[in-house]
Formats: sequence, structure tokens, C-alpha cells
Amino acid sequence: MVRLITHNLLACHVKDCNTNNFPLEFKDAQIELRETEFNPEFVRGIIPKLEWKALVDTARELGDTTLPLELPEMLDDDFLKNLHHVLLEIHVEDGVMICANCKHVYPISNGIPNMLLAEHEIG
Amino acid sequence: MTTLYLFVFAQSHDEFRLPELSSVAELNGIPYTLPLKPEDRDPTRPFMVIGLGKEDHAQILARRCILIKFVSVYEFYGQGSTYEELHAANRASRPLWEKFIPDTSFRFLVTSYNHKIPQSRQREVIESFSYMDFLGPINMKNPDITCAVLEEYFDTRGTTRSKHQGDGNFRQVFFGRLIEEGTARNLIVKFDVKKRSYFGNTSMESEISLLMANQTLASPGKIVYDPFMGTGSMAYPTAYFGALVYGSDIDGRQMRGKDKKSPGVIRAATQYGVASRIVDLCTFDVTHNPWRCGELFDAIVTDPPYGVRAGAKRLGRKRELSDRQRQLCEEHRMNPSSDDQPYIPPTRPYELSHLAADLVLLARYLLRPGGRLVFFLPTVTDEYEEVDIYTMLCEGMEVIANSLQDFGSWGRRLVTIRKTTSEKYPSPTFEPIHEPKVDHVPAHKDFREKYFQGFKPKEERGASKDSSTTPV
Repeated sequence: MVRLITHNLLACHVKDCNTNNFPLEFKDAQIELRETEFNPEFVRGIIPKLEWKALVDTARELGDTTLPLELPEMLDDDFLKNLHHVLLEIHVEDGVMICANCKHVYPISNGIPNMLLAEHEIG
Repeated sequence: MTTLYLFVFAQSHDEFRLPELSSVAELNGIPYTLPLKPEDRDPTRPFMVIGLGKEDHAQILARRCILIKFVSVYEFYGQGSTYEELHAANRASRPLWEKFIPDTSFRFLVTSYNHKIPQSRQREVIESFSYMDFLGPINMKNPDITCAVLEEYFDTRGTTRSKHQGDGNFRQVFFGRLIEEGTARNLIVKFDVKKRSYFGNTSMESEISLLMANQTLASPGKIVYDPFMGTGSMAYPTAYFGALVYGSDIDGRQMRGKDKKSPGVIRAATQYGVASRIVDLCTFDVTHNPWRCGELFDAIVTDPPYGVRAGAKRLGRKRELSDRQRQLCEEHRMNPSSDDQPYIPPTRPYELSHLAADLVLLARYLLRPGGRLVFFLPTVTDEYEEVDIYTMLCEGMEVIANSLQDFGSWGRRLVTIRKTTSEKYPSPTFEPIHEPKVDHVPAHKDFREKYFQGFKPKEERGASKDSSTTPV
């Protein structure tokens, strides 16, 4: 787990870390691909919530180059299938996510990221 | 055109019946009408005559509502407080059943609620319907149609009575044709906690988690979030109904379990064939959450910890550190020793009434307009007042259902709140600034303390317990 949809919805939330705190950078990512049922309506519906550039960059970093740099105007089935694959079928099972700004390291173990903050990181 | 259908409810959770019906109807776009007379739509009664536009609609409801029983929906032919009244009504319904007269195989069932009808009278009752003149063969195993007579008796539990005493002395008798057996009740067995590959001592019983899933309007294409995921009890039925589920918890051990290979929640989800719908699990404190933006979820469903089995926790310290301790912490942080990984941050208790109010604010931020927040709120039965619920509401959030599961001196209320606003709100601060707008202390405040003091009346409890109101 830690699918790219999740990665695209999470930002560093350390106190006063408000700029350049998204996207978190993957490091030592162990990837697994797992099939998930395709629901075009769901994929279409989630697009307005996504940060497109962050998603494409992260996908390319992890070796998937199927997404175009710009969000296309025509959302055909092939595109939606590629997007579905990137969002829901690429799982980062182990590794870390690092905030580009404050350098906080969020470890991922068994697919579950630990995003608890230390005492000095909360207000 | 509206046709009347007789609904037979399961003998449990009467306060949950109509909210569930309303949710499943809304989810499927089914308009329905309840009986006009208040006593006929009393949700504590087992039978209710409901108007629907289509027979399909009755089937959809019976297949999804957990509280519609196995003999569930009947095409309604008549009712009465005596058999004379019933037969008169049934004769008037002739256009509904005359198509079955020539050659339809059939069977008759005579059954009752709160009573057992002796066999001899069952036969009598069936024979009294002879004027219907059904010519088809009787078939008890695989009939084309099943007609049922249902007698409703008053509750006589706790009184001594002889066998069959009061027979025929029913409150109301109903008659109809079986359309659909409620199949959703089978899910209670399917999701039985005892047969689940992973559960904990805070796992929610399957019937209630299914009801909660129905309250979220779970269906394919939706995203549902549980911010106090624990062992994931609500996630399984919600995912089973097609929704994608996110879970987070301040304590990752609940979601993981002891097995090092794969998280317990994922193992249980795999057992139900819904592992791919658990989008992600994440360890964080919901009061310091990493969600990048709001309006993400179609529903939030959760059973917040209320301090009996497990206390709610949030990041922070119970007591302020002394300057000396603070300095040591600082030094340690700058030069950590290698053997103290993983770091476990300190936590402090999260008082229930604060948690509940925060949850509503969080839901207003994280839900899409029209989305639902579904959660349990424990409360002290003797002290509960309607306004308790309103102490935690905020602008743009509206209570649409509030059903009590009664355990005696305490109970828990399944609260369903809808986000009615489409305005954008900032992420809540989770600071205790939102003291009750009305000058009212809800019965769920300091629930943990009240529980362990055995729910003594207010006066006896004395002024000693006010600790958790002071922010620490």
C-alpha cells in the first residue's frame, strides 16, 4: 500500500512547515503492483482533487511513464485506465517519504506509513 | 402509482429501522410513503405498511436493509383488528390477487409476533380465506406464490399465562403475498467477528457495523474514511458494499496486529474479498493529520474510543514538563542514541465531548457537500437530553438520524450527520475553543469517569471530577 492516490493527498504536517511541504519524496521505495477493479466514474471524479504535476512526477520517478505532463481535455478510456493504474495499482510497501522542506522522514513499513509527529513538531 | 407493501422487521434495534430504510431508499433513489397514523408508523412495531412505486423497489430494499427480516416484504392485501375487517379489506384488494386464481401454485403461512398460534387455529385461519378460490395446486416447497397471515400481539413478556392463553386476541392482523425475503440479514453471519481472521477487543459486532455501513450510503465509486480505524470493523461491510475505504489510527498496532507479514486489517479484508478496496491505512493522530485538502470523502464512519475498552488519545503530554526535563528532551533529540528507534511520541487523553465536537468540525472540512458522518456516541441514559447532540453541532452540519442502542444505565447512539453546506471551511484547529454554545453539559461529557463510577446521580458524583475539562 501507500498507493499514489494516497501519496497525492498527503502533505507534511509538521508545525510551521507550510511551503514546499508537498509532495513528499519517496526514498528506497519497494514497489508492488496489485490489480484493482477499474471504476471509470471514480477515476473521473477524483481528478479535481489531484495535484497533477506531483502525480506525474512521482509516477515517473517510480518508473511509470504512461501519464502525460498536462492533464488532457479529452478523458478517453485508455487515459482513465492508465490513471487508474497509477493511482490505485502501484503500491509502495516499504521505504520512506521525506518532506522536501523540513526533511521530516515518514517511514513506511508493511505498507503503512507512520505519520505521527514528534513532540517538538506539534504546536 | 403507489402500491402498499407490508414490511416485516427483524426483532432487534427498533430505533435503527427507519433511519436504515431511509438511507437505503436515498441511496437507490426510491421514494416511499409511511403510514399516516402515528401508531401505524411506530418503529417499535414489527410490521409496517409502506407505499412504494414499484415491486423492484421492495426487492432492492429487502436485499440491502439489514433490519428487514427473512419473511420480509409482502404485497399488502389488507389488515384489521379482527378477521372480519381483514377479510373485508382483502375482498376489496381482489384486483391485486385475482390473477392468481386460475392456475398458480401457492401456499399459506400463518404466523404471529409475540405469540404462538395453535395448529388447529392455523388451519381455521387458512380455511377462512377459501373465498379467494385459488384453483392452482398447493405446494409447500416451491410454490409460485406465498401468502401469509401475520398476527401482531401485545408484549406479554414477564407475565404468567397458560398455553395459548389470549390466542386470537391480537392487536392487528395483516395479510399479503411474499415478494422478497430479506437477504441482507445473512451478511450478519458472513461478517461475524468470531469467524474473522483478525479482530480485537474493541471490534464492533457485525450487525451494527453493517447498519453503520448502510448509514454511510456506501456504494461503488465512493470514498469512506475511518479516523479511528482500530481493527477496521466498519471498513469491511463498507468496502463490501463497493466503497473504497481509508483508515487511520493514532496507534498503528491495532491495524497491524501481531503478524509481521501483512497487516491484520488487510488479512480480514482479504477474507471478505475486499482487500483491494482498503485504499490505505495510515498511522497518525487525527488532530494532527496530513490530509492535504478538504472535501475528499463521501462519508466518515467511525466508532471513536470512549474510554471503557480503549481511551481516546491525542498527541501531547498529560503534564507540562519541568524546565530540566524539557532541556533533557531537547538534548536527547539533538543526539539520539541508536537503540531508541522507533520513536513513540507522548500522548494525552482526549475527552469525549471534545472529541465529538472536533469530529463534526473535521467532517465538515473533509466531507464533500452532502456527505455523511456516521458515528457512535455513548451516553448516560438517565442524563441524556436531546440537546446533547446539538452541543457538538456546527454550522452547515445537520443531524438526520439518532438511534439508541440501550444497555440499561448507559447506551450508545448511532448519530448520522449530513453536511448541508457547500461552503469551504478551513481545517479545524482541534483546540478546545468551541466550548458549548448553549450553556449545557452533555451527558456524554467525561463518559469514562461516569462509567467507572457506575453512573451515580450527579449530586453523588460530587465536584471532584472535572479534571478533563482543563486543557493540558
